[in-house]
Amino acid sequence: MEPTLKMEPILKVEDISKSFPGVVALDKVRMDLREGEVHALLGENGAGKSTLMKILSGVYQPDRGRITFKGNPITFSSALDSQKAGISIIYQELNLIPHLSVAQNIFLGKEPLKWGFHINDKKMNAAAEKILGGLNTHLDPRSLIKNLAVSKQQMVEVAKALSNNSEVLIMDEPTSALTGAEIEELFRVIRTLRSQKVGIIYISHRLEELKSIADRVTILRDGQYISTDNYADLNMGEIVKRMVGREMKNKFPEKKAKPSNKVILEVKDYQRRGETALASFSLRSGEILGVAGLMGAGRTELARAIFGADPVSGGELRVDGKPVVVKTPRDAIRNGIGYLSEDRKSFGLALGMQVKENITMAFLEEVSSRSGRIYKSREKEVAERFIQRLNIRTPSISKAVKNLSGGNQQKVVIAKWLFRNAKILFFDEPTRGIDVASKFSIYELMDQLAASGAGVIMISSDLPEILGMSDRIMVMCQGRIAAIFDRSEATQEKILQKAAGL
Amino acid sequence: MPKDFRDTFNADLLQKFAALAGLLGLILVFSLISKNFPTRANMISITIQTTSIALAGIGVTFVIITGGIDLSIGSVLALSGVAAGLLIKNAGWSVPSALVAGVLTGMFCGFLNGAMVNYLKLPPFIATLGMMQIVRGAGLLATDARSIPGLPEETFGWLGNGAMFRTYKILDNGNQVVDFEGIPFSVTLMVILAIIFYYILANTRLGRYIYSVGSNEEATRLSGINVVAIKFAAYIICGFFAAIAGIITMSRLVTVQPTAGDAFEMDAIASAVIGGTSLMGGVGTISGTIIGAFIIGVLRNGLNMLGVQGFVQKIIIGLVIIIAVSTDQLRNRKNT
Repeated sequence: MEPTLKMEPILKVEDISKSFPGVVALDKVRMDLREGEVHALLGENGAGKSTLMKILSGVYQPDRGRITFKGNPITFSSALDSQKAGISIIYQELNLIPHLSVAQNIFLGKEPLKWGFHINDKKMNAAAEKILGGLNTHLDPRSLIKNLAVSKQQMVEVAKALSNNSEVLIMDEPTSALTGAEIEELFRVIRTLRSQKVGIIYISHRLEELKSIADRVTILRDGQYISTDNYADLNMGEIVKRMVGREMKNKFPEKKAKPSNKVILEVKDYQRRGETALASFSLRSGEILGVAGLMGAGRTELARAIFGADPVSGGELRVDGKPVVVKTPRDAIRNGIGYLSEDRKSFGLALGMQVKENITMAFLEEVSSRSGRIYKSREKEVAERFIQRLNIRTPSISKAVKNLSGGNQQKVVIAKWLFRNAKILFFDEPTRGIDVASKFSIYELMDQLAASGAGVIMISSDLPEILGMSDRIMVMCQGRIAAIFDRSEATQEKILQKAAGL
Repeated sequence: MPKDFRDTFNADLLQKFAALAGLLGLILVFSLISKNFPTRANMISITIQTTSIALAGIGVTFVIITGGIDLSIGSVLALSGVAAGLLIKNAGWSVPSALVAGVLTGMFCGFLNGAMVNYLKLPPFIATLGMMQIVRGAGLLATDARSIPGLPEETFGWLGNGAMFRTYKILDNGNQVVDFEGIPFSVTLMVILAIIFYYILANTRLGRYIYSVGSNEEATRLSGINVVAIKFAAYIICGFFAAIAGIITMSRLVTVQPTAGDAFEMDAIASAVIGGTSLMGGVGTISGTIIGAFIIGVLRNGLNMLGVQGFVQKIIIGLVIIIAVSTDQLRNRKNT
């Protein structure tokens, strides 16, 4: 599988610098990409990867530095510019129009026409089918995007990029929403592209997957260029060390929390509306209960039902031994239950609002008078306390949350629930799309919470994370609880078997 | 916290300064062109004319910040006046209790809007578009489309025509004329309400939740906030302000007109939008809306003074809305 590499790079970035008010995002960064190679770009959140990608795709203009594409110096003034030149980017959040078909999305803005104005559907569908076929992906070009799984949508994005005759493809965290089999399929497509001489810049936080595809690796840290090497010459420890700037011996913290005998949450025969399965399990104080399963196994749905976010048709809930009725998130929160969504932007944060407003949102009563007046100075104290405690990196407490990096946004959501004194906390995919160091501090936080007597339910698709953090592991499959293991008896194989319904 | 200060300064104050500077600029230009413009009497008359727009604007600002809209304001304005007028004329109610009933009518219309948005899950545009027709129809039906004249001047006309500190002087021929027009009660009421509702929006839980519903409704619900109640509050507040604007309008004429306030919601929405309120929700201030209302009021008055035709006035006001919002958009784009 040795790729044929031409030595002259197709895309070359030299001494690129970019500053934003108050931050130097990139400082003399360089990188080059050869034809037919997969070049992994690594770095923590805030290292400058996104800024560099946005410069390459024409969204931002660099303050200084040169970009050479196919031997010619270039400047892009818009995303359209770079696309026309042959550089396409696939963002983590896909840019497809849900109500249009696969073919309509692929040819958006460049529809084949009959008589100069009539869209030639037949030709368009045939062309789409051909491109998809070239990727060994067989999708009906007429199916609507909204009816496709995320992995298929991603194939459509790839096809869309290819329809622009792209010679460079940038992929930002393409696997973050995919399951194991889907990831394999994506890698197969990436290898196909590589054999067609497309240069690929591949950004990911999942370092394990590099071994399947990466040819070379460039590492950035705090906006600075650190190194470029052949993947074969590096080991995982070295990569992490360079990304973080210090040695990270362990991926998971030494656990201090020990589960007590006190059951704080008991779920009995719980049934989500429209679902036949009944769920029963319990959670002890000081315990981290991992919830494993494939995508669509009903993990998030069960959490949302217990939290009162989705309707329930039957079952019993006991908090601290007392039966409680939870019909709305408000009821759940009153009983000390908190929920950190897997999709923090849609469900966890008011992005346009300030950091401090987001932190106090769920417990404004605590910083306001009975009649409803907010004590702004008290609110500020609270926000400052949590920013310090969780080490949230923000220029000020009144910055809009949308300006923070993913890891710091996640910490703001955690701060919200810590401030609310939640003692039963659901963490739904808490580290998805988050860099190594932030991951570690989120693990530490979960452990601290458990050590202080809370119970944590951690939903995760990352098996090492499940095995590394959980006291017990609950495996779900097709809406049901398939098994509950003690940490000591659980292995990756056992979990996967149960998750697959074996 | 100098850093904090700079943040707020950049985003909010600058925006408001731009609108305020625009308003002052307008006043300056009109003053230079027309010597009748900058007189005390004219200033008071602009303020009176602007009062109803500002009131309705404050109300709709609450709704728009939640991400909604209220198109029924003009109709609700009329129905509130009709309710009060009929209660006085046909049911023999006292004026104060009839006015309270008028205000409650407006709040009830707001409640119905809230119910449609919350329970029927209708888009606010559709819910209030329907409500606009229904309420207008109800007002016309109840009055047979005729105005109700002959209301007690002393009491019913008090709010719209009375003023504090009004002084008179006796002319040589023995006639009594107004020396100083005084500060109109309607304007005083508007200022008091503006301060109260500014405070609610900026400093209370209700205000904060109104912003957070508009910014991300689902995240707000998942934070344990009763989103349904917040949206009800916003639409009821809007109905309340529409009713107050209606009562002031009818009181000024001492006549109830079921056709009053036609397309008035557009002035209210325009003043909010000129003042920096975003139709996407989550953004807006009361002070901005008041400035927006005065920009509209000053423009109308000034253009009238210059003898600019009504049709041309519409074109100019339309342009002002578009310019104000597009500069706002450009500034925001630069900030992010």
